[in-house]
Amino acid sequence: MPREAEISVNERTFIQQALQENIRLDGRAFDAFRPLKLNFGDEYGVADVELGKTRVIARISVEVTTPLPERKFDGIFQIVTEFSPMASPAFEVGRPTDAEVILSRILEKAIRRSNALDTESLCIIAGLKCFALRADVHIIDHDGGLIDASCIAVMAALQHFRRPDVVVEGEKAIVLSEREREPIPLSILHQPLCVTFSYYEEGEIFLVDATLAEEQVRQAEIIVTMNRHGEVCQIAKYGGATVDPLALLNCTNIALQKVQDMSRFIQHKLDEDAKKRDVGGLMAELSAENAR
Amino acid sequence: MAPEALLSHLNRADGSATYTQNGYSIIGAVNGPLEVQRRDELPSEATVEVNVRPAIGVGSPKERHLETLLASTLRTIILTRHIPRTLVQITLQVRSLPSEHAICGVDASLSLLPHLIHTALLALLSSSMPLRTTVTAALVVLPAGRDAAPMLQPTARDVMLAKPIQSAHVFAFSGNGKVLLNESDGSFTYEEWEEACEMAEEVCCKEGGVGLSDAMQVDGGSENLERWLREVVRRKVEKEMRWKSGT
Amino acid sequence: MATATTILLPGDQIPPESLPKPTNAKKPLTLGPGLRHIPPNTITATIAGALATDNKKNAAWIEYNSGRYTPQPHDLIIATVHASAAETFTCTLTPHTPPALLPHLAFEGATRKTRPILPPGSLVYARVSPSPSSTTSGYSLGAGGAPIELTCVDPSTGKSDGLGPLKGGMVFPISLGMSRRLLAGKKGGVIVLEGLAKKVGFEVAVGRNGVLWVDGGNVKTTLLVGRAVQEVDEKGMGEKEQLWVVERGLRGL
Repeated sequence: MPREAEISVNERTFIQQALQENIRLDGRAFDAFRPLKLNFGDEYGVADVELGKTRVIARISVEVTTPLPERKFDGIFQIVTEFSPMASPAFEVGRPTDAEVILSRILEKAIRRSNALDTESLCIIAGLKCFALRADVHIIDHDGGLIDASCIAVMAALQHFRRPDVVVEGEKAIVLSEREREPIPLSILHQPLCVTFSYYEEGEIFLVDATLAEEQVRQAEIIVTMNRHGEVCQIAKYGGATVDPLALLNCTNIALQKVQDMSRFIQHKLDEDAKKRDVGGLMAELSAENAR
Repeated sequence: MAPEALLSHLNRADGSATYTQNGYSIIGAVNGPLEVQRRDELPSEATVEVNVRPAIGVGSPKERHLETLLASTLRTIILTRHIPRTLVQITLQVRSLPSEHAICGVDASLSLLPHLIHTALLALLSSSMPLRTTVTAALVVLPAGRDAAPMLQPTARDVMLAKPIQSAHVFAFSGNGKVLLNESDGSFTYEEWEEACEMAEEVCCKEGGVGLSDAMQVDGGSENLERWLREVVRRKVEKEMRWKSGT
Repeated sequence: MATATTILLPGDQIPPESLPKPTNAKKPLTLGPGLRHIPPNTITATIAGALATDNKKNAAWIEYNSGRYTPQPHDLIIATVHASAAETFTCTLTPHTPPALLPHLAFEGATRKTRPILPPGSLVYARVSPSPSSTTSGYSLGAGGAPIELTCVDPSTGKSDGLGPLKGGMVFPISLGMSRRLLAGKKGGVIVLEGLAKKVGFEVAVGRNGVLWVDGGNVKTTLLVGRAVQEVDEKGMGEKEQLWVVERGLRGL
């Protein structure tokens, strides 16, 4: 079974030696993210994220279905991440690797379980009809930082997406097409984002946003998910070398700063995109909240 | 309108290409020749594996059907005997589709097929996999109605406006003018099929006669695909050789 | 450049006027990567690229700089040792490809009693041996199933000539074209290494499989040299820009 190519002894020793001298291979500060690029597609709900050489595309799509019997008042939301050999020949379709399972689990906890998306707002008629929202995460290029990049992609795509508007008359619901009524944004309660910390030298040295080479040399990792208000959504450490628990406090402080930076960046890109689409102030006119 | 192509832009894949035309955008990646699993190993040839990932979801029998068509077409142009007991892995990720794609009246797989073929070829060229020849493909749509003219490489919107559709055909030609693939859907006469085949051949293959002119042949908006392919490769080579002309 | 480059797509035949004009008429035409011979008289391209010829050697091949490295006999490469079997080390030249075999005795001075010890993850600078079962297509060794063999010693002299284990240092991935340029000396047009060598000391080994090994004695120097070559590669720099990279690098030290 193809696995990720092993890193040589020379590279491992060199990276560790460099970290002890406070040097990263690409010259970054230990708490710096790689350059982040975010582009939206022509359709609503497609976010193309580049974090250094890592590239992830998230796409939101929606369809109407019946709600789960145990959750009559909620819509359905699922996040699907399936690695393809495009990102790395080590990924086989249909055989999830550890990295794929962890990514899936983290996104699940970070976004779905933390109620970032208000699923009640997806309900159309309780017990009968609801919207089923789906986030597909495609890994296009893998150079480390898949969790951080994927979370940005999914959150940005969710905020960019517009769902069809619905008119409910008693037991009947009519889903209006894009041409009948302007689609509306999703109800997003908060924006969780992930920051992955990688540990070296028995937990003495840590850095943020590791490249693939740095990931292969690391001894432990802690994934912190927070929103820009400082609320922690989840903290994960799946084994690895031990880390001083007080270090976790340090992590959350740094993570908060990074999450705030990322949130600002995403908002800036969303505003830019909205301006591009808003030709002649049409959006303001069409908004149902117009003061009359 | 000539399709847009961006080559060798991914870092991990051996070869990659992003192809955009008429609202269709597909990212292709090729890896190989790789070590092949024992169970897939062929003793004197390379194994060709194609993965088609749709824009939404993870794939259904429709994608598996496209994968089978693509694998058998690409197998004829890849020099598999030059690289025996290895794996050539081709992954195609649909990035975006025109909004009319599913409702235009032509089977969705059929209208996607030529674009998948082009993306796969560009990614193969980027990966420098040994090929016998190149392949180009085109969609021809015949609307219902006695006087309806056949449409060559129509946009999804054009097709939707021309509904109902009587038949649709995809032809793929090798670099030396042979038909490598033909998928037809609907009801049609042999004459109609032959005419569609000729129309596709004209846009896919080298133009008849040694045409050294640089003038773009604007024939109803379709640029000759063979010429387009050469242009893409010319730009690729120029980029790779730019250090030679640097001061 | 006086003549325009002939750009070929797979399946294109080489026009007869573009074939090399051999200075020695008796020398047979040798076809390098990207070309294949279809008897009796046709030569076609198998990859997309620019046709290159050498009149002195009467050789023709296709210049290209994308895709995975494929081993050719006598190529100098940097391999990673994966494991040690009975008589050989299994090594990888590129990730996810069938491993190459490096006999324990293919090192200078090695005997059955004094074999080199190379733990998994070691790097070796080696040469691809011409395989006895290589086919006439010349395209890929191991055709017919024989694995690729490596050697760290010149078979006729028994000397290592700089081949063998690489200790310390760091490896930097570079494009196949850059590896070829570095191994071509002056013709390759890479002056950044000699520029840096004027002020700092370092060792390098270039593998045709797109790997550059650098040991500058310390982290800073090694990174400086490796990153400089990578930058020249990524940006396709000419000589003037390379001098600028050298200057900026030395200033940083």
